[in-house]
Formats: sequence, structure tokens, C-alpha cells
Amino acid sequence: MSKPKKKISDKEIRALVIERLKTLPSNIKVSIGNEGSFTKENLIAKVREGDTTGRKIIEVELEYLRALKKGDLFNESNTSHHPA
Amino acid sequence: MNQTLLITRPNYDEATTYLFHWSKPVIKLAIKKGDRVIDIAGKKVNREEFIGRLKKISPDFLFLNGHGNQTTIFGQDNEALLTTKDKLKALKKLIIYSRSCNCASLLGPHCLNNGAKAFIGYKQPFIFIYNPSLSTHPLADSLAELFLNPSNIVITTLLKGQPPEEADKRSKKAFQKNIQKLLTSETPKEYSAAIRFLFWDMKHQVCLKKEE
Repeated sequence: MSKPKKKISDKEIRALVIERLKTLPSNIKVSIGNEGSFTKENLIAKVREGDTTGRKIIEVELEYLRALKKGDLFNESNTSHHPA
Repeated sequence: MNQTLLITRPNYDEATTYLFHWSKPVIKLAIKKGDRVIDIAGKKVNREEFIGRLKKISPDFLFLNGHGNQTTIFGQDNEALLTTKDKLKALKKLIIYSRSCNCASLLGPHCLNNGAKAFIGYKQPFIFIYNPSLSTHPLADSLAELFLNPSNIVITTLLKGQPPEEADKRSKKAFQKNIQKLLTSETPKEYSAAIRFLFWDMKHQVCLKKEE
């Protein structure tokens, strides 16, 4: 019988995202609309704080990682029209 | 047939400065095609000016740049330009592209309910990365170009007479092309960092249309 899958905690997810953000170059800024423009260090601090911007960055990273896992980055359906 | 494009380009922080400058190639193309361009830029992007022009000229296309949220698109210094409280006859038959955050969630459907033909926009924040050392010359910033060129394709495709679905599709293809290029070639670290955000913008760009 296979072991039940361990659920990843929020703390672990945050740590994963922070490690990924550490690989961002220091000479860029990320513009997130009304939230403002952020350096790598700003984004890491936001994820640590867990505020709106930090939570949004976690969403961006997780969505990207899921797409990578599923092979969705090269999927033609990404470019098709999705009616509302 | 000559068409009329109404464009708003506030310019008061780094994000709006980038959108302000990156809208110029669209204006250039429209003028070259012989279309009429009503360009409300910088400090002139206030509600009075916007609503006045919108009512007076009845444009074919509305290209809104700037900050936004689910219910509102903002002009200069965060003055609300268009909100879900507005009931405007001038929206009738308009095709709208809103390069701003979250507006496709509630403002988009509201515009359709008020007669707009289509609304292309984002259901989440529109994110882009840029090189701050080039922030005084945004058009020279090839990092920002990865995002702002595919988004420009929405409106340039519309100006070329294609339907809104096609404009949405061609823009997403340009986002995907950039993602693939960055994934399959040796690129500097700052360019690889763009991939996650390009994917995000592509996934959350939507084309809303009223069922015919």
C-alpha cells in the first residue's frame, strides 16, 4: 500500500517561494499594479510578512510550478480564446 | 475605413511611465494607418476630460492604460476614470482593451452590460519586470518589452480589423513565444526571471464578449 501523500504546510510553501525568489537578479524590479514596484529583497520581505503582495507572489510561483509540472508552458490551449 | 482610437496614458509613477511610453508604438501605427487617435496623456487623464471626449467622439476602440482594480480604472494620480457605478451610453458598441490590473473581473462585465462589444483585460494584476536603470528610457528596456510588446499586440491587431478574440489570441501567442524563447535558449538570469510573470499575464488575460 502506498504511503498517503504528505500535505505541504503554508510555512513550507512560503520557504519554497522565498528560495525561488532568492534566485531573482538584484538589478530588476517587479511591477505589480497598484501594489507598487518591488526589488527582490522587497518581495522576499512581503512573502515573509504574508501580506496581500506576498500572497499574490506565492500564487504566481505556485501557478508557474504547476504549469511546469504538467508541461503546460508549451500548451497550445494557453493561447486559445476562453469565453467569459 | 478609418477608425477612431481613444487612448488614456497617465504618467506619475514607474509603472505608468512604462505604459505611457510603450503605448507610443500603438499610436504611431494608428496614425500611419490613417486612423484618428485621441490621445489623453499625463495630467490630462482626469475623469472630466475622459468622459467628455468619450461622449463627444464615440470611438471604435478604447485603450486604457494605468492602475486599476476589479471595479475601477484610474487616470493620473489615481483619479477614477471609469467604474462599475457608471452607466454610460457612450460605451455602446465599443471594443475596450484595459492594460491594468484586475479590471476584467467586474468592470469588464459591467461594460458589456452597458453595451460594449468586447472587453479585453486581466482578471489578476498585470505584472511586468523592468530594468530600473532604464526607467528614464522605457522603450530601450528589453526586459519590459517581453511583456509590453505582447500586450500591445491586442490593440494593434484590433486596429488591423481583426475581431477581439483574434486580438486576444495573437497577443497570447506572442507571450507564449517569449516564454518558449526564454526556456529554450541561453538567456541572462534577469530574462529567465521573466518567465513566471509572462505565464501569469498570459493565463489571466481574457476576452469578454456578449453572447450574440
